Amino acid sequence: MLELLNLNISDMKKALIIFIVAALVIATSILWFMSFSEKLRLADLVTAAVLILVVGFALFIGFKKMSSARRGEPVEDEMSKKVMRKTASYSYYISLYLWLAIMYFSDKMDFETHVIIGSGILGMALVFTGCWLIFNFRGVRNE
Amino acid sequence: MNNRIREYRARYSLTQEDLAKKVNVRRETIVFLEKNKYNPSLRLAYDIAKVFGSKIEEIFMFDQETD
Repeated sequence: MLELLNLNISDMKKALIIFIVAALVIATSILWFMSFSEKLRLADLVTAAVLILVVGFALFIGFKKMSSARRGEPVEDEMSKKVMRKTASYSYYISLYLWLAIMYFSDKMDFETHVIIGSGILGMALVFTGCWLIFNFRGVRNE
Repeated sequence: MNNRIREYRARYSLTQEDLAKKVNVRRETIVFLEKNKYNPSLRLAYDIAKVFGSKIEEIFMFDQETD
C-alpha cells in the first residue's frame, strides 16, 4: 500500500506523527468543550479559534510532507531543517517575553491559574506558527 | 550569493522537480535557491554543480554587497 502511494516507512512515520498529535489535540478539545455546563464565554471561543488555527497549521505541515513524499522527494531537507531551527530559536526568545508579559498582567487582572497557563501555552503555539510562516515564506539566507 | 541555477536548468531541460530529486531536496528548496532566498550548504552546492557537470563557482557567485 505504501509503495503504491510512493512513500517509504520513515517518511510515513514523520507525517503520521503530525496527524496523531493533531488528532489528540482535536479529541482533547472536544472533551474540553463537552465538559462545559454553562454558556461559552468569549475567552473560550478565542481559545477554540486559536486551537483550530494551530491544528490547521499542523495538518497543513502534515499534508505538505505527504505531498513531498508522494513526489519522491525527502520530507525534510537542509532548508526545512534550517527553517525549523531558526523558528525554534526565535519562538523561544519571543515566548520568554510572552511569559514575562503574562506574569505582569496576571498580577493586574484576576484570572484563574489554569487560564493563565493555558493562554501561555496557546500563545507559544501561536508564536511558533507565526515564526515558521515568516521564515518559510521569506526564506533563510545568511546563517 | 547569486546563482545561475535557473539558466543551467533550462540548458539541461530539467524541471525544478527533476533537479530536486537529483540532489535529494524538496522542490521548494530549489524554488528558494533560484529566488536567492536561501544560501545552500557546500554539500548541496557541490551536488548541484555535479548535476550540471560544472564547477561550483560557475553556478554560485558570491556577492560581497548583498551578503
